[in-house]
Amino acid sequence: MSLDLPQLLQPVDDLSAFAARRAEESAAAIPAAQRSLHAAARADPEILNRKIAAAGAGWRGARPTDERLDATFSPPAHPAELHVLGADGSQVYADRHAAAYYYLINVGGLHLHYGSGEPPRAFTRPAIFFRDEDLQTASGGMVDDTLVKTRRDVAEMQALAELAAAAGGRPGLALLDNGLVLWQASQEHHAPRPEVRELLQAYLRAMAAVQATQVSLAGFINRPRNANLLALFALAEMPDDKVTPESARRPPPAGLTDRSLMKGLLDEGQRSARFTPLSPLNQTFADKGQEVQAFYLKAAGDVARVEVPAWVGEDSEALGRVHAGLLEQCRVTGIPYVLVRAHELAVVRPADRQTLDQLVAAALTRHGLLPEISQKSRTKRWTSNRRRHVIG
Amino acid sequence: MPTSAPIGRVTRCSIQGFDGGIRLTHPDRPSFGALCKAAAQQGASDVIGLIYDINIQDDELARQLAAADAPAAELRADQQFVRPIPIEIRTLTVGFVAGGRFEQRLPPQPPITLAEIYPLESEEVRQFTERLDFLTLVLAAPQLPVDHLLAACLRQAALARPESARRAFLIDAGRACARLLAGDLARLNQLVQDLGQP
Repeated sequence: MSLDLPQLLQPVDDLSAFAARRAEESAAAIPAAQRSLHAAARADPEILNRKIAAAGAGWRGARPTDERLDATFSPPAHPAELHVLGADGSQVYADRHAAAYYYLINVGGLHLHYGSGEPPRAFTRPAIFFRDEDLQTASGGMVDDTLVKTRRDVAEMQALAELAAAAGGRPGLALLDNGLVLWQASQEHHAPRPEVRELLQAYLRAMAAVQATQVSLAGFINRPRNANLLALFALAEMPDDKVTPESARRPPPAGLTDRSLMKGLLDEGQRSARFTPLSPLNQTFADKGQEVQAFYLKAAGDVARVEVPAWVGEDSEALGRVHAGLLEQCRVTGIPYVLVRAHELAVVRPADRQTLDQLVAAALTRHGLLPEISQKSRTKRWTSNRRRHVIG
Repeated sequence: MPTSAPIGRVTRCSIQGFDGGIRLTHPDRPSFGALCKAAAQQGASDVIGLIYDINIQDDELARQLAAADAPAAELRADQQFVRPIPIEIRTLTVGFVAGGRFEQRLPPQPPITLAEIYPLESEEVRQFTERLDFLTLVLAAPQLPVDHLLAACLRQAALARPESARRAFLIDAGRACARLLAGDLARLNQLVQDLGQP
């Protein structure tokens, strides 16, 4: 072990003391946040919208929907039959020290037909990318880890679209183990690379393909740290004439999150009101008919954030499928069962990676090439497999 | 090259037997009394094992489902038929094959660690059980359910033959057992009855 743990004893203790102090401060801030929630719920929508506009495009708060902000909703009955689909992905990044330069994306998925009694259908779809067009970017650079991750995100949504189409027009629920807004596209929103722009379009096309079926789409986020609602409450409390893009950007008190607020508001099985998380990228999604809305859900004792396209949020039947379906999915495993299994199907374990490396090395040899890892990689192997000498 | 998928990778071995583990779905799981093989001597031979135990390993997700209040039928079916479950098989060595020739005695070396364990194909089972000298190795194994193991193995060996030859094979096998268990009529009687079970 190269990590010198004794050196970390004091910092780890400091970390724990800080976390305990933060938890106390956060708990103390919740009553005020709850009062703010109810006040914002009573606020004049016209004034609130004016303040939201004044906060500018960079403000990352929430815009209320047709549901009152402090409303809570109990779940509808679970349908007798429901097609529940889940997809997840993992990747092996391109490694210039490896015997060959490539990256891999592996998508796993599960199609569970509730009410049928039948075993679900599972699949894994690995793909290796090694050609110039896979590895080189338009600017002449090499593909980086963020692009690989974004391609994985797109592959996940495309897998869900295929599963939704295979449900054959029957009502279903398609789940993603993440938010619905494509993360890297949000990071590069002002000047996206051509690759990210293309991937965003492919992602939006896949969302539209799900929309064309009877399947409700939802992203499930376990332990969210977002504070869109808290930002809105803070904005609602500001005097109308004091709202500017700068003044609106106030961090939430004491590390408070929407989740910690919702823990006290929601009973088991209930969801919060829907809201629209604001960002320039969500506006792009809205322009393509895929605006993302969100709500919080208390399932299996914890509060999760659920993101849905507006076409699901504004359709009570589709939204009911998401609500009831997620609760049933979380009943046994705490997070949706299909996502637990999709992750299991997708994950590339170190042993898989090692076998893949051996497979690549053998194939290179068959084609007359000497599979050589870099000297740096070789030295890492020497030191990482250090023999342990035990005394006594 | 075996046409079936592996049913394990060797994790522990000796001259007298080998154990293996793998994740398998229910339909792919091996059976008690089945014959299998794993590479030895740097691939020059395959050691033949007789499966006498199949152990389904503990798994966090399965345990969570077991403890849950009435998990949906589809989730149970997923665990039972779709999701590969970690299993461990234990085998008794009953021979080896080298250069296409089956031997019914202990091999010169045990299998290689992590060698893939494959079920014997029907034709291999038929060829291996043309002679029944391996019965002595099974009957001599200590602390194993050897009578049930023999019966299960011989029934599967019969099924590897054309239907018209199965009865004759079982009668021959029963006679071979009678010679070896002549001093223990109660055991022999039970074994012969087991051989007659479907």
